[in-house]
Amino acid sequence: MSKKTIFKPSRRDVLKYSAAGAAATVLSTPFVHRTWAQTTEINMLAWYGHGEADIVGAYEEANNVKFKPKYYAGGDNMLALIAQSPPGTYDVILSDGEFVQQLNAAGYIDELNPADYNFDDMLHEDFTNFPGHWAAGKLHSVMVRCGHLGVSYNTNAVSAEEAASYACFWKPEIQGKVGHFDWHLPSLGMMSLKNGNGAGLWDLDDAAWNAVQETTMSLRSQVGGFFDYGGTFNSLKNGEMQAMCGIGDWITGVLEKDGAPVASVVPKEGGIQWTESYCIGKGSDKADQVKHFIQYMTSPEGQVKSAQMAAYPGFAITKGGRKLLNEVDPKEAQRTGQVDGMANDPITLIKEGRIHYRDIPQQQSLEDWNDFWSEYKNA
Amino acid sequence: MNTQKKSTQKKRRFNLYAMVWRTPIIVWQLLFFVGPLLFMIAMSFFLVKNYRMIEAFEMKNWIKMFSKNYFWDSYYLTFGLASLSTIIATVIAFPASFALAFKVSDNVRRWVIFLLIIPFFTSYLVRIFSWYVILAESGVINAMLSYVGLGPYTMLNTMFGTLVGYMTLCLPLVVILQTFSLANVDKNLIQAAKNLGCSPIKTIYSVIIPLAKTGLIVAALFCFILSFGDFVSPYYLGGSKPPTLPILIIDTTKSGQQWPRAAVVAVVMMATLITIAFAALALAYKKRASR
Amino acid sequence: MKESNTLKWFLWIYIGLIFVFIFSPIIFSMIFSFNSARFPTIPLESFTWHWYETIWNDSDVWQAAKTSVIVSSCTAVIATALGFATAYSDFRYNFRFKGPYLALVLLPPTIPLIILALAMLAWFSKIGTSGQIYSIVIAHSVMTAPFAMAIIRLRLNQIDENLEAAAWNLGASEWRAMKEVILPFCKPAIVSSLCLTAAVSFDEFAVAWFVSGLNKTIPVMIMEIVTGNIDPRVNAIGTFVFITSMTLVIIAQIFFMTRPKEASAQ
Repeated sequence: MSKKTIFKPSRRDVLKYSAAGAAATVLSTPFVHRTWAQTTEINMLAWYGHGEADIVGAYEEANNVKFKPKYYAGGDNMLALIAQSPPGTYDVILSDGEFVQQLNAAGYIDELNPADYNFDDMLHEDFTNFPGHWAAGKLHSVMVRCGHLGVSYNTNAVSAEEAASYACFWKPEIQGKVGHFDWHLPSLGMMSLKNGNGAGLWDLDDAAWNAVQETTMSLRSQVGGFFDYGGTFNSLKNGEMQAMCGIGDWITGVLEKDGAPVASVVPKEGGIQWTESYCIGKGSDKADQVKHFIQYMTSPEGQVKSAQMAAYPGFAITKGGRKLLNEVDPKEAQRTGQVDGMANDPITLIKEGRIHYRDIPQQQSLEDWNDFWSEYKNA
Repeated sequence: MNTQKKSTQKKRRFNLYAMVWRTPIIVWQLLFFVGPLLFMIAMSFFLVKNYRMIEAFEMKNWIKMFSKNYFWDSYYLTFGLASLSTIIATVIAFPASFALAFKVSDNVRRWVIFLLIIPFFTSYLVRIFSWYVILAESGVINAMLSYVGLGPYTMLNTMFGTLVGYMTLCLPLVVILQTFSLANVDKNLIQAAKNLGCSPIKTIYSVIIPLAKTGLIVAALFCFILSFGDFVSPYYLGGSKPPTLPILIIDTTKSGQQWPRAAVVAVVMMATLITIAFAALALAYKKRASR
Repeated sequence: MKESNTLKWFLWIYIGLIFVFIFSPIIFSMIFSFNSARFPTIPLESFTWHWYETIWNDSDVWQAAKTSVIVSSCTAVIATALGFATAYSDFRYNFRFKGPYLALVLLPPTIPLIILALAMLAWFSKIGTSGQIYSIVIAHSVMTAPFAMAIIRLRLNQIDENLEAAAWNLGASEWRAMKEVILPFCKPAIVSSLCLTAAVSFDEFAVAWFVSGLNKTIPVMIMEIVTGNIDPRVNAIGTFVFITSMTLVIIAQIFFMTRPKEASAQ
């Protein structure tokens, strides 16, 4: 047993004081860069990046608000979080199109007044009356951006001609190098399009659904893995995967800017559109501020900020937004085809019927599709 | 035994003393753990309507999950992988722990143990992502191998990748726990064995390992529990190919808010692990008859 | 002697290899935190402090760091205290319902994190303790107490049972025996438990994301970045944490070196 000498701090003391020292250092470092007096805090629940300075910084300065973002990694976590949190915890919620239906069915979002928002400036009439954002004639969510999913590929491994069809995923040279974004909906939707279901890609009867399952299973031997956001980026960048199913420019656009030899195209069988919109959380006491913010995001300035968002790019959906984008960032506008009259103008593609909005399956349940997805992974 | 006699003599004071040590955890767990635990079990019987959970008591989720082939495939795979991870970690760690316990000075041992605690303070997620650049086909290892003419090996998105991830998770802990238990083996007994003519190898498995049995089993148990429940390694380094139970849980929640069915998988995992834990601890703390 | 030397060399190299395995991800993470490229691939691009500057200037990161330090230190203390009490009870006493008692303590690590996370959020919301920093402390202490208990129990397994009784026979009260016999003997285990529980809490993001409401901890922030906008900021944050804990450990170790030699024989 050790004799206790006078000044011999025990290990516990040392760690205690070291921890206190570290804490004191952290606490004393200036970590507040904005005056907090009378700043309204708005709680935001969104995909990563929507509350960052590059997109909302100007709005925050101009309106003396501060966004407190909570980022989710999937709509399901988002729904579960809202379900179990006290009502009114989140003021503004960014949601994908399909999840708005779920949010509304479960009663987590407020009704909105269409007159408050500039629907006339939208580039396509579909955006005005976007399915899922309206329920029984009432508006629940305002669309702010969208993007297209198609064939994403490594330009050194797959040629542009090959990429014009989903069939390139079955190319023998890239066996074991085809990746899936780890969500059943876009991948199975693409398989459905490959089977030629076109506009009815989500509305499959038994025979068509069986055909989609067969087509998907036939791809299994090509598959290298199932990835989330981070895994997708890494795999495409370091070349582990030469093609990816279930994503689009929202990932490859970022990689392209970083110099990676990747690209996304909408193939001839058609592409899928993801759509993001803002809702006001039920029970929020800042509904007015949120309304103002949504109006900003659909204004030309907000639209440009959205199109240039650092986390992942999206299309500007208003005429004013597109015009301003071409003025301030013509390079990005050219890259994504957001110029009236360009061949790959997303609006043109929608008008030609080559784009189909992402939706939930109609004749099967989400469970059915997800069950198959689990079987597919285990195959 | 002394303690038993004590308990009958001073019963009143004894109780207060005992209660001070026994009750805090009960109170704490009752307040903050039993609630979630019961909720989780109850949740496995709930239904989902309109993407909202409805409190119910239906066997539907259990029947559905147990009838799926992919559930059982995942179960056996996860069990097998976790067992493999435990065996590999235990075997790999042993020579290092042995060296640290018997062949180095106390100071060096202390330094090494403390250095091994460092990885715990760096994000596991970030460490796993770092493996990407090491294991990728265009990564560091393959680049070095190409200098000696060996072809690029696919290490990511395979079971090998998953196991590398499990080792990243478990190895420091297993080494530390094994070292602790080996270092506390009574050195006199080892000396006695040597004096009686035991060869070094025989000493190890006849004397040292049985004496350190408790710690070795606890280390292995930790490794099994961590590997069984880990989501990050099989997902990022194994490419979800094939998916383990934690991945299945995450997947199930994407079925239109099917948290009840995910809860079924969770309850099965919990039941499996607690059974293994009790069996292992019973084995670990069993006193040998001769003592 | 010769055999012992080659064996010793072999073991040293073996330990070295283990260290290489354990530390190479950390080293690579540090290297890439200085790399100007956004994605970690070789060959490297140019050296830059940019990512460090970004997180240094980001008030959210400092806030998350502060939250993390508070959460993990509180968790460590609570979990170790609970773990010690439980380990001692298990070591010393045999009572009815000891089985369920132990089960109650050992269950948390066996439950998959994401389900535990949702269940905890549901329960905490019901009792009004969700969405705060202390919510995370509570959740983490529940989750890490088993580790603390196991470590201390392991140490108690090595004590001679008669030591405590000897102290009583010499006239010490149970409390004094605890303070002068049991606690000093358990000190290494208590310290390890404090470190381990703090570390586990410092790295846990699944439960933290669900119960913390709008308070972020460092692991939650890392998870959000990794699943939403991956860039070397996570490497910079990881390196910061690494350097800080290295410093703490070295300071602690220096204090150890000044302790009398007999103590280390424990």
